[in-house]
Amino acid sequence: MGSNGKIIRKKDLNIWQKAYLTEIFKGLRLTISQIFKPKFTYLYPEVRFKPQPSFRGRPVLVHENGTERCVACGLCSRVCPALAIEVQASETELEKERYPIKFEINMVRCIFCGFCEEVCPEEAIIMSNEYELVFTSQEEAIFGKERLLKSTEEMKDRLEFLRAHR
Amino acid sequence: MNGSKTLLTSYVSQPGEIKTSSGKTLRTDEMIINMGPQHPSTHGVLRLEIVVDGEIIVDVIPHIGYLHRCFEKHAEHMTNYQQVIPYADRMDYVAAMNMEQGYAVAMERMLKIEVPERVEYIRVIMAELQRIASHLVAVGTFGIDAGAFTPFLYAFHDRERILDLFEMTCGARLLYNYIWVGGLSHDLPPQFIDKAKEFCKYYRPRIKEFNDLLTYNEIFVKRTANVGVLPKDVAINYACSGPMLRASGVNWDLRRDDPYSVYDRFEWEPQVGKGEMGTVGDTWDRHIVRMREIEQSVNIIEQALAGIPEGNVQAAIPKRIRPERGEIYARTEAPRGEIGYYIVSDGSTTPFRVKARSPAFVNLSVLPEISRGAMLADLVLIAAGVDIVLGEVDR
Repeated sequence: MGSNGKIIRKKDLNIWQKAYLTEIFKGLRLTISQIFKPKFTYLYPEVRFKPQPSFRGRPVLVHENGTERCVACGLCSRVCPALAIEVQASETELEKERYPIKFEINMVRCIFCGFCEEVCPEEAIIMSNEYELVFTSQEEAIFGKERLLKSTEEMKDRLEFLRAHR
Repeated sequence: MNGSKTLLTSYVSQPGEIKTSSGKTLRTDEMIINMGPQHPSTHGVLRLEIVVDGEIIVDVIPHIGYLHRCFEKHAEHMTNYQQVIPYADRMDYVAAMNMEQGYAVAMERMLKIEVPERVEYIRVIMAELQRIASHLVAVGTFGIDAGAFTPFLYAFHDRERILDLFEMTCGARLLYNYIWVGGLSHDLPPQFIDKAKEFCKYYRPRIKEFNDLLTYNEIFVKRTANVGVLPKDVAINYACSGPMLRASGVNWDLRRDDPYSVYDRFEWEPQVGKGEMGTVGDTWDRHIVRMREIEQSVNIIEQALAGIPEGNVQAAIPKRIRPERGEIYARTEAPRGEIGYYIVSDGSTTPFRVKARSPAFVNLSVLPEISRGAMLADLVLIAAGVDIVLGEVDR
């Protein structure tokens, strides 16, 4: 070890400094003072984090009394950087004339960027406040219309936020 | 401090052989150790191939590419320039705002867009908040690597408050897609300015508390001072940037030296390592430079919040981005150093080529240079001091 085989140690420390006890107590004092402060963490599955209306969770489609707002223009599908959205248009007798016969979002591909919401002319696809997304297979992660559609009442907070801040 | 230094130099003076107490010379064998890619101290999927002679590091070879996601190639296959921004976020996911800002600044220079003042002010506030959040991750995990677990929780507690501010503004907590070419995705919510002022007021004393807890702790100083010394000339030769370069005593900050946005309107000082606890450019210096930069960022935020003008944040967003044929290189100061975007346009709506010069990748290349001759246990600290984010190293 080394050139003369001896390990050089520092000798200018006294016994207190060697044990680093003062430093340990300094840290402990701060830690103990925290016990009396309010808790910052959630006990997660029991207490859930409630996002603000500005939160960008998973995208959903909005329907009014059962008819979707979407007119299947395909802008969201075109603007999606991750190519997660697939839309197929069809015609209907209703006022809007077009509706999506197939609307699928691949939630494995979705990157929650919010471009689809930004580009939508009908305010039909918006970001919800849902953030718990668990899948056990690739097929399960492809959300069709039945899982995407939400009523305007359910999405009230987000729609109000969009109207105020856009 | 001098004791440990002579100890280290005496080890490396004769690599490959040791002398026993009876004066006999024994030959030693080198050994190769793999650290990572699944190792908590490599801060991601980095593999370090370490050649050791006993406990002394002879060489370190970083193997990268485990998180390569083809950012540059991906950017060429977007339908427009705006779509690159969510992917720029994902480069340095700890400092996504700064990555976006770099891209936005490059594109605006290419398109010659004048951005409204309000946008510039909001960008400065967001970039500095993000710098604090990013440095908090850096110093928190640095503490963990040195064996101090508690400071990490303090750092993340404060970071969480910054993320709350981001969530309030743009809806995301990590990957924002907030700074767009020519503007911002949302204006500030009405209560933001009060909340941000409240945060600055709350956060100042916390910096001192954190310094008392970790930075000036004798145990921490002993572990980090004189470890992984990066001399000034080596730092410049390896093109290091950010806190890594400044800790070596080079006063270089792009916010001041290659001004962009409205940084020239605020009073602040780039922080330089002075070698207070050991040598200039050691890991402790890198830590203290980050801590002092946090303080400077709070200064900038407070000044920006006081002077924020009114205006429409989406006024200058171009309807369709179609730059002329040409190229641009623009650089900005991210928390880890110089993030530069080199963008080539062929006149169409998609970039012909996007090259990102990422700071952590360049900083990582100096790792073998500064860890030769150090103890194996110190390598963890040296690597943490470089503060790499593998998403940005590999892109």
